[in-house]
Amino acid sequence: MSYYDVDSILTDAQKLPCTFELEVPGLGILEGNPGEDIKPGTRIDLPLWLGEMLSIGARLGTSRLVTLDMPSALSERVMNALKADPRTVDLRSLAPHFYSLGERILELFEEEELVDVLMETFKKRAAEVSDQAHNPRGAVGDGVDFLRGLDETERQLFRAAHDRAKEMRVWSGEAKRK
Amino acid sequence: MAFPLPRGITPSEIGFLAEMEMVTVVPRQRLEGLELLGGPIEPLVPPRRASLPLWLALLLKRQRRANIMPPSWLHPEPLNLILEVESQHPDYRDAFSPPPPLPGQPSIRDDGLAPTARPQYTPDGNRYYASPPFLPQNTAQTEGFSSRDPPALPFHWVEMGNMLLESASDDLVEPDQIRRLLKDLPATGGGGVALTGVGAMEVGEERGFLTGVVDNLRKIGASKEQARREQMAEQRANGAYDGAQDEEEEDYMEF
Repeated sequence: MSYYDVDSILTDAQKLPCTFELEVPGLGILEGNPGEDIKPGTRIDLPLWLGEMLSIGARLGTSRLVTLDMPSALSERVMNALKADPRTVDLRSLAPHFYSLGERILELFEEEELVDVLMETFKKRAAEVSDQAHNPRGAVGDGVDFLRGLDETERQLFRAAHDRAKEMRVWSGEAKRK
Repeated sequence: MAFPLPRGITPSEIGFLAEMEMVTVVPRQRLEGLELLGGPIEPLVPPRRASLPLWLALLLKRQRRANIMPPSWLHPEPLNLILEVESQHPDYRDAFSPPPPLPGQPSIRDDGLAPTARPQYTPDGNRYYASPPFLPQNTAQTEGFSSRDPPALPFHWVEMGNMLLESASDDLVEPDQIRRLLKDLPATGGGGVALTGVGAMEVGEERGFLTGVVDNLRKIGASKEQARREQMAEQRANGAYDGAQDEEEEDYMEF
């Protein structure tokens, strides 16, 4: 991930539920109460980069400012749905950068099962993406619901596979260059 | 990251590389030998057959100075046979048909024979073993292949077939049928990710997609891999390292 990679910046901007452990004077603006204090036990959705920074005290052994929770996109309910049928889940509505979020979360939490579910999901969905990309009617026919639910990583894959198939057709003279 | 050129190699670039393949021509006019960068060309004397690089053969063909002899695999019967193997044969239903054998490699029929690679020598006397891009797989008299070998598609089959159909279709046997068979072939081969028998154009086409898939799998599995390595390092430090745990996990993907 490069420093200027837009996708990695957007991944870091995704919200993560955090619970404050300490009272923070004057930070009520995060909760929508400017000028107020934040009480211990308040749950607020913070961007991934901020939440990660604030929870870092836990690793240093000092008292930490916030504790992190699993984002709703990676909750038990979603994992069960993915285990049942990866192809019907709309990942985009859960998180636009679903897999990148998963990677970042896995750096913070140790979740063996999450790794397996994500791997299996990605493999199954990638096969479907490949099929749709090579099917010239994929983007307009019945695949449209599936394609709308692709996360950003999968969209890039779809684009790579689709463009290559199209370039091939152009080269072999089957399709006109546009 | 915005990068103006597409990643990997474009179809026209792959086609350009394929033009280096040697094909057999029957000249209609005399032409003296040429000293080309790719090596000297024998003098053309009609009606003696000669081997030329594809680009030169196509040039002469367009100028009506030569006829191209189609490669031995570019006929309806061998293509039909390969298509049958890829779609019917249980071993290859999810894979591609095997590539043509290398020189010295035992053919499929004499099973269990140890391969005996025959080295060749460069003009400087260095030993080398020829491999697919530098083997005459597209000449009409494919030397080195015994006739009992089953037909096989060479590395540049997509490009070779396409270019010959485009510029020299009157030299082919039943070009329309060949065109139809060549179009049917990729449709049957897309069952799985095989490692042998994939053509240059197919590699180029799937490169962007496959590397993306594998890279993302690596990223997702990074934390697990990290844990596994730490565990292994710990075991090694304790002196209880067991070599059996080193087995690589195989990621086989179905498509």
